[in-house]
Amino acid sequence: METVLSINQLTKTFGRITAVNKLDLEVKKGQVFGFLGPNGSGKTTTLGMLMGVVNPTSGSFSWFGQTVTNETRKKIGAVLEHPIFYPYLSGQKNLELTAMIKGAPADHIARVLDVVELTSRKDDAYKTYSLGMKQRLAIASALLNDPIVLILDEPTNGLDPMGIAEIRNIIKKIAADGKTIILASHLLDEVQKVCSHFAVLRRGVLMHSGAVDEVGKGEETVEVAAYHDDLGFVLQEFAGTLSLKRDSASMVVKLKEGYNSQDVNRFLYEKGIVVSHLVTQKKSLEKQFLEILAEADSIKK
Amino acid sequence: MLHLLQVDLKKLFNYRTFWIICGLYFLTLGMATASGMEFLKWLASTFKDFGSKLNIERIPLYHFPDVWQNLAWGSGLLKMMLGIMVIISITNEYQYRTIRQNIIDGMSREQFILSKLLTNLVLSLASMVLVFVVALITGFIYSPEISFPYMFAGVEFCASYFLEVFAFLSFALMLGILIQRSGLSIVILFSSYLIELIIKKNIDDYVPGLIPFFPLESIMNLVPLPFARYAFQEIQDYVSFGSVAIALGWTFLFNYFGYLRLKKSDI
Repeated sequence: METVLSINQLTKTFGRITAVNKLDLEVKKGQVFGFLGPNGSGKTTTLGMLMGVVNPTSGSFSWFGQTVTNETRKKIGAVLEHPIFYPYLSGQKNLELTAMIKGAPADHIARVLDVVELTSRKDDAYKTYSLGMKQRLAIASALLNDPIVLILDEPTNGLDPMGIAEIRNIIKKIAADGKTIILASHLLDEVQKVCSHFAVLRRGVLMHSGAVDEVGKGEETVEVAAYHDDLGFVLQEFAGTLSLKRDSASMVVKLKEGYNSQDVNRFLYEKGIVVSHLVTQKKSLEKQFLEILAEADSIKK
Repeated sequence: MLHLLQVDLKKLFNYRTFWIICGLYFLTLGMATASGMEFLKWLASTFKDFGSKLNIERIPLYHFPDVWQNLAWGSGLLKMMLGIMVIISITNEYQYRTIRQNIIDGMSREQFILSKLLTNLVLSLASMVLVFVVALITGFIYSPEISFPYMFAGVEFCASYFLEVFAFLSFALMLGILIQRSGLSIVILFSSYLIELIIKKNIDDYVPGLIPFFPLESIMNLVPLPFARYAFQEIQDYVSFGSVAIALGWTFLFNYFGYLRLKKSDI
């Protein structure tokens, strides 16, 4: 697959603090790439370097396999941190200005305003907008020039649940068009819902990078309950049991690789136990994320 | 180039403060330069001495070719208003962080500063054109006789007035980029005259040859004070090549320092 972004040993130091440390990363065409990390882990600094507003201390990166100029940036739609616009200009005028800078045709403006559903407020001054509208205008401005790549940095920050759902739908719509999206966030749930790939950054160091699909793989954990007093003992006899834990009304069974909830159910039925409750606990990105961070901590110690 | 100018003007033309400051500036500039005779009449009626010693009708304030230098000098006093406008325009970009978004959207840092420089150029040109027109009209009204080549003797003061405004706006732009806060930049713009004056007075006795090389001094020297000639003193009634060279040098440096700072900083 075509490489859209390639980062090579990218480093940024602010005085004694190393914000980004020898980062290597590749993003391929069509990926929805989640860029994860706790607050202050260097996500925005990295994106700032990629978009030419932060000067790298060392290392390099290339977009679309070419050396980067300001012309490259016109093909990328990016919103870093907060939406930034001229507060005294209307949404429409702000987009006109962005279109001038990007060299985008003026007739795109009406279309992107429609995508983010801001058409009815386009002539009001930006400073009168609510936070959600500001975020949506930022996405509209990022979409103006039909970008090949879209970079969104915490696009749902500070939004109410409805706003979050709206932005998520917009992102999904854009991703369905085959655009490459880089989404920085600390909301893991968010990333799991929309991303195909992800990378975890911590204190400027890349901890992990891979596909989101692979997160759920590996050993499974099953929650079982039945009206049977010896459920725990019986489960211990099951060949696939790795470990067992009592959790209020049910038993939590961690399975060996190759076993799943069906095997548990069949085993118990053969033993004459009918389960009343059987749930596979899907391993979430959140868990994986915390595990990655915990691993990093233990290595450090 | 024209595109960059359009981008910056679009930011300003929809900004009410811009219209207020620039409106006041050009209005004041036009009215003040045209009402010099009224000012003299006021002086004569207020100070008895002034009126009795001098016949104001005989002061050739608006006569060709004196009018060029007189108006160019007087107009130079008002450039502070434009300087404040330039500072507001650049520090707004830092305060709203729109400079960051402009670059993310695909401007290079060179293009960004160039867009501001082009606006400075337009403001300086507009000032020059206005002063030229007022000088031409008042010259025709007040001059007792008008002879063609003679009336334009000294018109080069319009050009040096243009450089005076442009150099000063370059200084203001640099301050805005270095300081990034509007209030502080404006205070420093005002006090830089005072600071330079104190330094000049302190080194006056030791190295007087250095004085013309000071930045604000060099800007002031572009159009020398003309009015002493009406008290029968000798004045410099030409644009000196040295002053122009020094002022051009500073103009280049102001813009270069601004560019350097912008290039190196994370925004």
